[in-house]
Amino acid sequence: MPAALFQTALYASLVLCALGLVWRISAWFRVRIGPDAQAPTPYQRAAAACRGSVSVLCSRRALHLLGVFFLDVLLLRRLFASGKLRWFGHLLAVLGFALLLLMHALAPLLGAKLFQDYQATLDPYLFLRDLFGVMILLGVALMLLGRSRARTGFAAPRDPAGASFIALLAIVLVTGFLLEADKIASARAFYRMAEQYAGTADPARLKPLRALWASEFGVAFEDLKGPQTPDLLAQGRELHDKACAACHSKPASAFVAYPLARALAPAMAGLEQGQADVWLLYLHVFACFVGLASLPFTRFFHVLASPLSLLLSGAGSAGEFFPAGRVSRRALALDACVRCGICDARCSVAPLARYLGNPLLLPSHKLLATTALAGGRLLRSGREAETVRAADGAFLCTDCGRCTSHCPVGLDLEDLWEAGRADLAAAGLPRPAQWVQARPAFEWAELLEQIPGKAFAAAPLAACAPLAADSGSFSRCVQCQTCTNVCPVVAHGNGAGHGVDLTPQKVMNLLRLGLRDLTLGSRMVWDCAGCYQCQQSCPEGIRVADIMYELRALSVQRLGAVRSHGAQA
Amino acid sequence: MMRARGDAYDVAVIGAGMAGMAAALFAAEQGLSCIQIGNGGSLLFASGLLDLLAVHPVAEGRRWQSPYEALAALAVDEPGHPLARVDSASIRAAFECFVSALGAAGLTYAPLGERNRQLLTSIGTIKTSFGVPAAMVAGVDALAARPPCLLVDFRGLREFSAAQIAATLAGHWRGLRHQRLEFPGYEAAAELYSAHLARALESGETRRRTIALVKPLLGDARALGIPAVLGLARASAVHAAFEAELGVPVFEIPTMPTSVPGLRLLGALESALGKRGVHRRQQASVHALAFDAHAGTAELELGSVSGCEHLSARAVVLATGRFTGRGLRAERDAVRESILGIPVQQPDSRAAWHQRDFLDPAGHALNRAGLSVDADWRPLDAGGKPVWPRLFAVGSILAQQDWMRAKCGSGLAIATAWAAMGKVRTALRGTVPA
Repeated sequence: MPAALFQTALYASLVLCALGLVWRISAWFRVRIGPDAQAPTPYQRAAAACRGSVSVLCSRRALHLLGVFFLDVLLLRRLFASGKLRWFGHLLAVLGFALLLLMHALAPLLGAKLFQDYQATLDPYLFLRDLFGVMILLGVALMLLGRSRARTGFAAPRDPAGASFIALLAIVLVTGFLLEADKIASARAFYRMAEQYAGTADPARLKPLRALWASEFGVAFEDLKGPQTPDLLAQGRELHDKACAACHSKPASAFVAYPLARALAPAMAGLEQGQADVWLLYLHVFACFVGLASLPFTRFFHVLASPLSLLLSGAGSAGEFFPAGRVSRRALALDACVRCGICDARCSVAPLARYLGNPLLLPSHKLLATTALAGGRLLRSGREAETVRAADGAFLCTDCGRCTSHCPVGLDLEDLWEAGRADLAAAGLPRPAQWVQARPAFEWAELLEQIPGKAFAAAPLAACAPLAADSGSFSRCVQCQTCTNVCPVVAHGNGAGHGVDLTPQKVMNLLRLGLRDLTLGSRMVWDCAGCYQCQQSCPEGIRVADIMYELRALSVQRLGAVRSHGAQA
Repeated sequence: MMRARGDAYDVAVIGAGMAGMAAALFAAEQGLSCIQIGNGGSLLFASGLLDLLAVHPVAEGRRWQSPYEALAALAVDEPGHPLARVDSASIRAAFECFVSALGAAGLTYAPLGERNRQLLTSIGTIKTSFGVPAAMVAGVDALAARPPCLLVDFRGLREFSAAQIAATLAGHWRGLRHQRLEFPGYEAAAELYSAHLARALESGETRRRTIALVKPLLGDARALGIPAVLGLARASAVHAAFEAELGVPVFEIPTMPTSVPGLRLLGALESALGKRGVHRRQQASVHALAFDAHAGTAELELGSVSGCEHLSARAVVLATGRFTGRGLRAERDAVRESILGIPVQQPDSRAAWHQRDFLDPAGHALNRAGLSVDADWRPLDAGGKPVWPRLFAVGSILAQQDWMRAKCGSGLAIATAWAAMGKVRTALRGTVPA
C-alpha cells in the first residue's frame, strides 16, 4: 500500500474522529432535558463541569474515585453483578481489542518499543495475535448470548449505526485472519523472503528449504506435492536455521490462521493471481479507518461516556456540580447507555408493556425516546401517535428504581425519567393521573358503558391484570378495614381535608360486587403511594397494593380508549 | 442461634397469630433457631387484652374472678381441654415471659397478678380478661369504684359511641358523662380510622389540641375514658402526656377491629422476634410439608409472590389456627386440616356440626373440632400415632375447646405454645447433628 495513501486515510479518519468527539462531547453541555435545564447556558454547564471535576479530583474523594476506576471501569463490577456471562464476554472483547491495538495495530509505535524481541512472525506474538482476535470473537458471542437470554418480548431498539460498526469490526477480524493465512500459504512471499535472507530465489537451490516450508510452515507450492524425504527435510532445516529461524516461528501457533492457510492451499494459485493479499490489506486497513472515523457517531462512543458516567456515579452528589452538572449528567446518560437491555429485563412494568404492546415503557426504549424528545424529534407534528405512546411509557413508570440499581454504567435513570416527564407535561401531555381525575369515578364508569367493546385492546384481561381478573384474589375480603387503617394516603387525605373518594377496602368491595369499572377513575387508585402497608397487613393475604397497580394499568387502557373515542366523536 | 446457609432450622413455626407468635418467641427464648411463616394480620383483630380463662362451664356462662380457680375446675370437668393439660406454674411462667417481652418492646402491661379484671367495651358491655395493657388499667379501677367519669368519642369514628356506653350503664354508674369531640385536623373528614388518629396523636401539635378540647369538659370527673387511639409505637408517651396534662387517670377503651391495640401488639411482637433473631416469611405460605426420615428433618416448600423457597427444620410447630386462620377447612362433608390433611376430631356428620339455635349458650360441636394431640402436643394420625415425631400443634387448632365462649383465646395460645416448646426442646436434644 502506498505510504501516502495510508497516511492520508489515517489522518483523515483521525480528524473525522476528533471532530465527532468534539461534537458528541459538546452535546453533554448543549442538550436540555428537564425544567431545570432551561436556565444554564452551555458555557455555564461546561464551566461547572470543569470546576466540579477539579474540586472533586483535589478532594479526598479522588482516592475513592481511583477505586471506582479500577473496580467499576476496568473490572466492570456492576456488570458482574448483573450477569457473569456478559461480564466475561465484555471483558474478553475489550481485553482482546486493547491488546490487538497495542501489539498489532500500533506495534510500530508501541508494541515493538515495549518488547525488544518483538516480531509479528515470532512466538509468542504469532500465537497471541490470533488469541486476541479469538478473544474478541468469543467475547462478542458471549455478550450476544447473554442479551438473547434476557427476553422482554420486544426486539431491541433499531440501531443501524451500531450494527454497521459491528459489521466493520467483523470485516476487520475476518480480513485480518484471511490476510495472515494468505501470507502463510503464499509461495510468492516465500521467494521474496528467500531472496532477501537466503540470497537466492532459485527454486532448484531452495529445494530443501521449500520442502521444509511446504511440510512444516504451510507454504502452498504449486509444483511441490506429497511427502518429502527425511534427508531433504534435514538439509532444509539446516538452511532454515541459518537464514529464517531468527524471524520465523512455526506458524502452527497461529491457531486460527494456520488451519485457514491449510484450507486455502488449493486455491492459493488463483488467489496469488488475483492479488488477494493486496485486496485483503486494503479492506482490513480501510475498515479500521472507517471504524475509527465513525466511532463517535455510534453507540460505541460509550467507550468514553460510560467510564465517565461510572466515575460521576462514584463521585456521588459531589459529581453533579449542581445544578448545572445534574443537567449535563442527563445528557451524558443518553450517550453512556450501552443498550445492554439489563434494565428492560428487570423493569417492573414489563408485563404492562407487553399487554399494551408499547415497548416505550421499557427503560432502554424510553431512553431513546428521551433522546428524541431532547433532540426535538418527538414532538414534531405527524408523530402524535408516537408521542402519546412515549408519554404512556414515561408516565406509567412506577419509579421502582430497579433500572437505576441494575444499570451497569451507573446511570441515574430515575432522575432522567423525572426530567423527561416534566418536559412532556410542559409540552401539554398531561399525566394519566391528571386527565383521569378530571372526572369523578362514576362519570368515567358511565362513559365506559357507552363505548363499543372493540375500542379496547384485544389482549385478554388476565394478561395485564391477573389479580383484578380473578375473583379468587379479592373475594376473601371481609371488609375489616385494616387496609384503610394502615393507608397513609387515606390518613393524609382525611387530615388535609380533601379525602379520597374510595378507601382501599371500598375498592376491594366494588371488585367483589363486580363493579370494577367504577374503581378505574377513583382517586384512591391513582393516589396510591405503593407503600404496600395494606398488602403487608391484610389478615386475608389479599394483594391489595398489587391490585391497585393493576387497576391503574387497566384505567390507562380503558379510560384512554374512552378519551380517544371522545376525541373522534 | 447462628445458622449457616442450607442448614436446617431447629424449629419452623407455621402461623403468625397469637399462638404462632408465642411459639416463635418461646423458641427464641430457649436459644433455638427459628423461622416463622405467615402473615401477622390476624393479630390486628386482637383487642390488646390477654384473656386466660374467664368463663366455665361455657353452657352456664359462669364468670370467674380467679382464672386459676377456673382452670382447676376446668381440669376436673374437661380433662381433654388443652388448657387443662398445662400446669398452672407453666401458665404463670408463660404469661410472665410473654408480657415481659412485650414490655421490653415498648408495650407495657399492668402487673399480671392472680385475678381476672373487668373492663368496659366500646358498646358498654363488661369484658372479663386477665392481662391488661397499662393504658387500659385505669378503666378497671374506674369500673370498680365508679367515680364521676367522662367518656369521650370522636365524630366519624364508627362503631364507638360514648353515648351508648353511658346509656347501657345508666342505672349502675351515676356520674358517668359522655361527650362527642371533633378530632383536631380531621374536621372535614366524613369517616375516621383509629390508626390514623393514633398516628396523628403522636405529633405534639394534635395531642395538645386534643387535650385542650377535653380539659374544659372534665369538670368533676376523676377519670377519662377514650377510644383506644392514644398513639402507636410511642403509645406510652402519648398516654403519659394525657394523664399529666389532664391530671386524672386516663383509660383507653378497646375499639372494634382493626384496632390500634392490635396494631401495637403486632408491632411489639414483630420487634421482639426481630431482636431475638427469629427469621420470618410474612408473605409466604406453606405449599408442601414432607418429612425426610433419613435426615430427620421436615422439608418445607414455601410459596409467595416472589417465588418458591425450600427450607428444612428439625421440628415443626403448627399454629395455623382454625377457619379464619385457614388452619382448618370446612368442606361439604367434613372439616380438614389444610397442610397435611391430619385427621380432625369432629362430629360424625355435618348435621351434628351446629345446635338447633345459632345463639345456643353451650356453643356448637363444630367449635370444638380440631386436632387431637398426645401428651407431648403432637397431632395424631388415623392410627392414633404421632404424624411425625417432631410435629407439634398449638393454639386454637387444638380440639376440645371453645376459646371464644370460654374467653381463653390468648391463654390457650400462650400456654400451649409454652408447654409444646418445652417438648420441642426435649425432642431436639436427641437430634442435633454432630
